[in-house]
Amino acid sequence: MELKTLAILIPLLPLAGSALVGAIGLRGLKDRSHWLVLAGVTAALFCAVSLFYQVNTELNRGGSETAAAIGAHAQIDPSQQVGYGKLAESFTIYEWIPAGAADWLNVTFRVDPLTIVMLLTVLSVSTMVVMYSVGYMRDHHGHAELGYERFFAFLGLFVFSMCMLVLAGNFLLLYLGWELVGLCSYLLIGFYYQKPSAAAAAKKAFLVNRIGDFGFGLGILLIYLTFNTLDYQEVFNMVANSKMAGDLALSTERITTIALLLFCGAMGKSAQLPLHVWLPDAMEGPTPVSALIHAATMVTAGVYMVARCSVIFAASPIAMWIVGAIGAATALFAATIALTQFDMKRILAYSTLSQLGYMFLGLGVGAFDSAMFHLYTHAFFKACLFLGAGSVMHAMAGEIDIRRFSGLRKAMPITYFTFLISGLALAGVPLLSAFWSKDEIIHAALASSTPWLGWIGLVTAFLTAFYTFRMIFMAFHNEERLPRGVEHAHESGVWMSAPLVLLAIGAVFAGYVGVTTGHGGFLGMFEPHGAFHHFLAPNFSDAKGHEMTVAAAQGVAHGAGEHGSESHWLMWLSSGLAFYGIFNAWYFYTRRPGIPLAIALASGSVYKLFYHKYYVDELYDLVFVRPLRRLGDMCYACDRFVINGILWIIAAIPRAIGFLLRGWQQGAMQGYALGMVVGLVVIMWWVLANA
Amino acid sequence: MTWLTDNFLGQHLLSMLIIVPILGAIVIYARSSWDAVFVRRFAMGVSLVTLIITVLALMAYLHQSDAIQNGGYTLLEQANWIGSADASIHIQYKLAVDGISMPLILLAAGLTPLAIWGSFTSIQTRQREYYALMLLLHGAMLGVFAARDLLLFYVFFEFTLIPLYFLIGIWGGPQRQKAANMFFIYTLAGSLLTFAGVLYLGWKASWIAPTAGAASNLAAGALTFDLDVLYNLAPHLCSGEQIGLFIAFFAGFAIKVPLFPFHTWLPLAHVEAPTAGSVILAAVLLKLGTYGFLRLSLPMLPQASIELAPYVATLAVIGIIYGALAAWIQTDVKKLVAYSSVSHLGFCLLGMFCLKAAGLTGSLLYMINHGLSTGALFLIVGMIYERYHTRELAEIGGLAKKMPILAFFLIFFTMSSIGLPGLNGFVSEFLVLLGTFTSDDPKPDGAGPLGVWYAVFAASGILLGAIYMLHMARGVLFGPLKEPGHGADTSAGLTQDLTRREVGILVPLALACVAIGVYPKMLTNMMQPALDHAVLAKVLPHDWSGDRNVDATTIQNQTNQNPTSRKRQRPVDGERTVQTRKQATATQTTLNHIVGAR
Repeated sequence: MELKTLAILIPLLPLAGSALVGAIGLRGLKDRSHWLVLAGVTAALFCAVSLFYQVNTELNRGGSETAAAIGAHAQIDPSQQVGYGKLAESFTIYEWIPAGAADWLNVTFRVDPLTIVMLLTVLSVSTMVVMYSVGYMRDHHGHAELGYERFFAFLGLFVFSMCMLVLAGNFLLLYLGWELVGLCSYLLIGFYYQKPSAAAAAKKAFLVNRIGDFGFGLGILLIYLTFNTLDYQEVFNMVANSKMAGDLALSTERITTIALLLFCGAMGKSAQLPLHVWLPDAMEGPTPVSALIHAATMVTAGVYMVARCSVIFAASPIAMWIVGAIGAATALFAATIALTQFDMKRILAYSTLSQLGYMFLGLGVGAFDSAMFHLYTHAFFKACLFLGAGSVMHAMAGEIDIRRFSGLRKAMPITYFTFLISGLALAGVPLLSAFWSKDEIIHAALASSTPWLGWIGLVTAFLTAFYTFRMIFMAFHNEERLPRGVEHAHESGVWMSAPLVLLAIGAVFAGYVGVTTGHGGFLGMFEPHGAFHHFLAPNFSDAKGHEMTVAAAQGVAHGAGEHGSESHWLMWLSSGLAFYGIFNAWYFYTRRPGIPLAIALASGSVYKLFYHKYYVDELYDLVFVRPLRRLGDMCYACDRFVINGILWIIAAIPRAIGFLLRGWQQGAMQGYALGMVVGLVVIMWWVLANA
Repeated sequence: MTWLTDNFLGQHLLSMLIIVPILGAIVIYARSSWDAVFVRRFAMGVSLVTLIITVLALMAYLHQSDAIQNGGYTLLEQANWIGSADASIHIQYKLAVDGISMPLILLAAGLTPLAIWGSFTSIQTRQREYYALMLLLHGAMLGVFAARDLLLFYVFFEFTLIPLYFLIGIWGGPQRQKAANMFFIYTLAGSLLTFAGVLYLGWKASWIAPTAGAASNLAAGALTFDLDVLYNLAPHLCSGEQIGLFIAFFAGFAIKVPLFPFHTWLPLAHVEAPTAGSVILAAVLLKLGTYGFLRLSLPMLPQASIELAPYVATLAVIGIIYGALAAWIQTDVKKLVAYSSVSHLGFCLLGMFCLKAAGLTGSLLYMINHGLSTGALFLIVGMIYERYHTRELAEIGGLAKKMPILAFFLIFFTMSSIGLPGLNGFVSEFLVLLGTFTSDDPKPDGAGPLGVWYAVFAASGILLGAIYMLHMARGVLFGPLKEPGHGADTSAGLTQDLTRREVGILVPLALACVAIGVYPKMLTNMMQPALDHAVLAKVLPHDWSGDRNVDATTIQNQTNQNPTSRKRQRPVDGERTVQTRKQATATQTTLNHIVGAR
């Protein structure tokens, strides 16, 4: 099929599935509602794979043509590739919104390497999660939960929205996808709507995202004002040439403002400080939702957006610095909170925050491809961890507090092993996927002008290994203990365990598309910057003006030459840190369980600060919510008393006049007679006086 | 298409549009022997016939491709209404539609049958009078949008008050009489000032010989209210006159809209009105105010509009934020939706006064969208009220459990109302913000009087809108089930969840929301040329001529002496155009400071 047709089919297939389930799910499908959505998402995945091959062919053909033109061994600027140039042009589906005389904001799609990477990640994780949900959204007897069809309809809608977000060829359509995934997140967090906490969490997620979108929307408006277009490629070309619409010079302040406004949106969607508050609460949703939306895909939309706008961000050093700093701060901050939590899903949620922080750290130092690489590996192992937690939750009848159970590894072997493998990946153990991607980010940060970001990354890596294995040891090791009311733990069915296994395989091997072999390097074999980076290179080659980007681009061109032996100390150090963290967790939680308690007691207020998540929620309530609410009260009071009071006074004037005049209309004969006499006298006096 | 327009009825489609519902009202009122069920069905039938005529009118309109491309009006009907022997009074019955009025007529004609259908169970007393008044209101509304003569416009405009006054006063809630009186007196007081402005314009038109060739059969010195004549009056009005007239029109329209701080009648009227009354009030009658600004104030008083735009826009922005905050703390769901109207209509006016093609299109589209989504929200609130006889958030909650279909529609229209992309609200909201944001940018169609900061403050309305609407959705739908002790009242033939009739009412609205959100082109293609031709070209003409030029230059000189003016000169074709627009920027600069300080 043609590229364009495939691109249109990818979002439409899940949408069709979702719409059908929504229309006939309650009446006709019921327990079988998952089939339509599963079919839609799987078909979309196949379309995406086919699209990948087409894009790859296009890139290679274009690359070879260009190479042939310049000479086989000449260094090629990837953005000059003929194939990529063709792909970067977005194609119009139809005219959407008129922005003035003959100026349309269109529904356009753009299919380039970055799109493909996102599509493949999103759709493969989605397929796994939809499969898993078939098992998860049932009780132990195989009966579908209440709202089964609703769940799958929303899930299909989410996949549609996410594909729209990723495929968008302009900022407005990006915004559409951006808001639609927010809606799906709202609907799915609030899936158990009768639980007040779930309803509150859903609302909070939507509103905090809207705060970010406020900035994001203004950023889009400013882009339109500056460049007179919202099309990606036109904007990027103008930024790359430092031009505004009408050939005016583009000021640094303007581009910084644009970048920071866009980043507001990313902070909301990807839950970066200080807009991170919604993500931990979002764990109220069903676990497959947490895995898909709040770990693997939707929350990474902010990373995707910054990577997509790499040209804009790279043009503003201040914006890059802020992105990196916020990323690093979030990574460390969330990791410290994760140390003290006991709810498995919340630990994973803070871990997600922390990992997203890594990605922004990478973006901030200009390692756009490494950040995307981490996004991609993270999707697999984090989805697997969440689904594993869901499997535990399913077996424990909804209990998820790791203080309430332990020693599950015998009863739930598949869950345990997949969880362990993904946990090892998350901890950054060598040769698993996250090891490659995380190290690249830290390496890029250390090599940049802000090396302290890299050191924060390393500290966080240690914390990550520790909190991950704290959770694993507490839940799966030691003697078997079950929460009250659960007779015996049991492994989940095949619908649930198959996706776990597949994702765990992904967690192990997904990283190898990003490494090259045969150049010496780590263990004498592996070298970062592999096929993945090469594939993405044309996307980021325009992001000039930042030293690391240039270095990365050169790295691709030279076959990772500059990552010579001098950088391998970092790989050894980070793997050492990972093992040290795991060892500590093992020692604390299986050998000497008294130590954590002693530390918690000794550190007192610090522990409390971590445990209460730095009191951010309370702070927001005090600083924003209450004053705004008071302001609302004041507005309403102003309506009732001030404005209506003034109206009453205005209305009182005619009323007062009426009151004064009323005396003359009292209806008594004498009064009228008196009036007539007085009148006559006055008239006669006037006539006589003038005569 | 000749089969449609070549016969007598085809040439009088617009008259039929007005006459059919009014005749229907008279018939219903006269036939005292009809029983209630038949009355309902008859009223519904009449409104559907009106809808069919509207569709025919739309087809005839779309057939006039030149009218669509040039933005002019079509389906013209003209007759002398009030005249004198010496031709010194020339008041016409003149109807026509263009791309501005056609969408609004569609909205009114589409919503009224649904509002009537929605009254089938909720209205149980004096049904004959009720449906007669609804149809009367219907005819008057359509008349406002079709009128091309200012006096005729005014007559219809005022006439809408009467049926609604009775609808609120008779079938309303416990405080209905207070609400009806306040609504009636407040809006009437405002529009009397408007009437003074109307008379002044007519007198002025007779005073200045109508040099414009628009009405060729017009004797010199005749008192006329023909809009085509009045549109050409602007060069003959000095700036003082324009401002005076603008304020006179403003008094009537701003109260109708309602613009902050003239909005206090609205929550009361909405809360007390019967459901259908609220629907029509919010969806159509408020639009009479915005339509008035768009149709009369802007094109007839361009200079005053530009000069006063920053002030009106400031009120609009305050209204957006104020209405949203006030909505948030309401405990009565209907009052919450009513305050949301205050906030939304602020967007409407903002888009209008930014004087950019995008903003104007957005504003007009906003009128339609607000009608659809807020109308639907009022219908849903009414459906809840019919079952539980309360709208207090404290008394109901968790209804999604018992009423999943209602929950779906409430969430759907909530999303439409808070501007979720893909639904209708987003398109108009985005266009309004885009127009406002780029207002002082001379590209591509000239600089308007507003600027970036208005849009920034208005955009906070998007966030606040989400806050109060989700607050409501959460309270009504989510959480543990909470209902008044007696449970749902199903005595009137209702079921626990929505009946087929109720679903049938909401589905067309939902489909329209999706259609406009996904493919707004079908409406904007109609609106944009008309807005360009009938509004933008008259306010910001690219070629200035006549007396305006002198005025403009004088003001420009004054402006240049103003040291606070920090606007950069931008290269633009038509140097004079830029100069004239500068007059507004000084006021705007000061206002930016005010808004910024807030």
